[in-house]
Amino acid sequence: MDQTLSEFGNVFVFFLLGVVFVAGGYLTARMLRPSRPNPVKTSTYECGEEAVGSAWVKFNIRFYVVALIFIIFDVEVVFLFPWATVFRQLGSFALVEALVFAGILILGLVYAWVKGDLDWVRPTPSVPKMPEMPASKSTSQRD
Amino acid sequence: MFELPSGAEIQSIISILKSGLGFFIPEIYLSILFMGLIILDLALKGRNKSGILGWATLIGLGGSFYFIAQQHAMQAGEHFFGMYVLDEYAIFFKYFFVASGMFAVVATLADRKFDAEVKSIGEYYALVVAMVIGMVMMAAASDLLMIFLAMELVSLSAYILSGYFKRDARSSEAALKYLVYGAVSSGLMLYGFSLIYGMTAETNILKISMELADHGYDPLVMILATLLIMAGFGYKIGAFPFHFWSPDVYEGAPTPITAYLSVASKAAGFALLLRFFYIAVPHGVSPYEDILGIDWLTLLVIMSVASMIYGNVVAIWQKNVKRLLAYSSIAHAGYLLLGVIVMDEIGTQAVLFYLLSYFLMNYAAFYVVVLISNRTGSETLDDYRGLGSKMPLAGAALTVFLISLVGLPPTVGFIGKLMIFSALLSKGALYIWLALIGVLTSVISLYYYMLIPLNMFLRESLEPNEKSLNPGFLAQLMMAVLMILTIWFGLFFEPLSEFARYSSAMFGLSLY
Repeated sequence: MDQTLSEFGNVFVFFLLGVVFVAGGYLTARMLRPSRPNPVKTSTYECGEEAVGSAWVKFNIRFYVVALIFIIFDVEVVFLFPWATVFRQLGSFALVEALVFAGILILGLVYAWVKGDLDWVRPTPSVPKMPEMPASKSTSQRD
Repeated sequence: MFELPSGAEIQSIISILKSGLGFFIPEIYLSILFMGLIILDLALKGRNKSGILGWATLIGLGGSFYFIAQQHAMQAGEHFFGMYVLDEYAIFFKYFFVASGMFAVVATLADRKFDAEVKSIGEYYALVVAMVIGMVMMAAASDLLMIFLAMELVSLSAYILSGYFKRDARSSEAALKYLVYGAVSSGLMLYGFSLIYGMTAETNILKISMELADHGYDPLVMILATLLIMAGFGYKIGAFPFHFWSPDVYEGAPTPITAYLSVASKAAGFALLLRFFYIAVPHGVSPYEDILGIDWLTLLVIMSVASMIYGNVVAIWQKNVKRLLAYSSIAHAGYLLLGVIVMDEIGTQAVLFYLLSYFLMNYAAFYVVVLISNRTGSETLDDYRGLGSKMPLAGAALTVFLISLVGLPPTVGFIGKLMIFSALLSKGALYIWLALIGVLTSVISLYYYMLIPLNMFLRESLEPNEKSLNPGFLAQLMMAVLMILTIWFGLFFEPLSEFARYSSAMFGLSLY
């Protein structure tokens, strides 16, 4: 019981140190630095660029898809490393297991590929056409 | 420093894994089915793709019954280092979830809205199967990590499925709300798990129960942990006060998915709830009597009563049939919790039987809703006016299913409620009040359920149109069969209740 408590105590001390570290940094900076703000200083730092517009813009969904596919294989490597370190002792069973594991992930990649999620097509700007004459045919109605 | 395990250790680990695989065949089969469906989806082209995929899923899921049936012969026990349990209880839910997956597919094949809204059915059926796998694992998980993993598999599939009508704003809203509530509640549940792990340094629920019995626990931490865990389970079963997602999600999601969530996902939550609370967490009068005088059982009682009252009362004002059924499903979660509260084999049996009856009547009711909205394109109560004369069989069938949902004889729903209440009454004075609340709220439910037949048969249609709406031969047959089954099992319930009693044997329950 004491053992577990001290483990929690470690975490708590770690947590406290984290708070003290951050707060101390801010406090020291506040005491040492001169305070002479001007508009350029207080503007948002954007790698030297001038910040234009709001940060709340829509990102292209493709970024997320690519990131997700990357994560899959990133995680795969994480799982394969420990497997590889003891590979010699593991034998054929573990080889088959790892192949199944990789196979499932490859199926996922194939799926994303076939469905066209890897094609980075540039959006073709659609030129608005002149409005057509009102069609006499009624659009198909659902019953 | 990290030390490499010795060869002998590795060999023993591998042999445990290998021996576990033999008890894991239905799950492996379902996983292969899942991948097969994805490959089939990639390979198939053409117009009839949705139909082929749907039938392939149906046949594939049906095939898994064979492997599940073989597990009856196997001895109950733990596998994969105590991660996973095989017992009659788990097998019961395997049947249940595979059957409910099949029903979701049947309803999807019947739903015309999919043809209009969904351009490519794609991974839809594969996700239905993934959800079946997750739920099967939920019913058999005996380790906190496995429980969490299985629940997330179910949830993630469910989020995508509920938002499958991408261009329908309500469907997308449903998926988003489901996701946000789901993320919060699984976070809370994980926090509860971490508290339990902190107290016992174990993740296996059997070992947790032994550890708690041997070394005792702080009742305050315990009640906090169970409350947090209940947030996760309560979200899955859709019980008050963790129900907020359900009306919006049920209304917005595709109707087959609504039915699937309301039956299968709820049952999975109950499977987990029963196993976890029966086995892992001690209750009642223990050597470590609670300072607050309440334990998790009290919390369940409060949840149950609140669900019954809230679900049934709020349903009165609903104008949309799917929303109405959503509130009714909150109320049914309350009734099911009554059976959990009993805390013995009769209670478990009652819960399992109630789940079976709920499966039949709720799926059937949603099936009719799908058929009606195919014809009318609407799910509001006003659009049900005068439908009784245009779709006589659908009207009659829906009336039977709703009577069953109220819990009136001679339907299967009546037997379900009867078993729950009689299990309660066998426990003594305090439980009589709970049964009384259950009965009274059932009376309230009579009103709003009967609004639907009232509109169908006794009110004139807003736009008179004598054209009869035939839902098609197969759908008629399906409705007739479901209607007969609902009444049949209401009269001859012995096989179902025997099956439920047989399945209430949980591995490890005798040890506690």
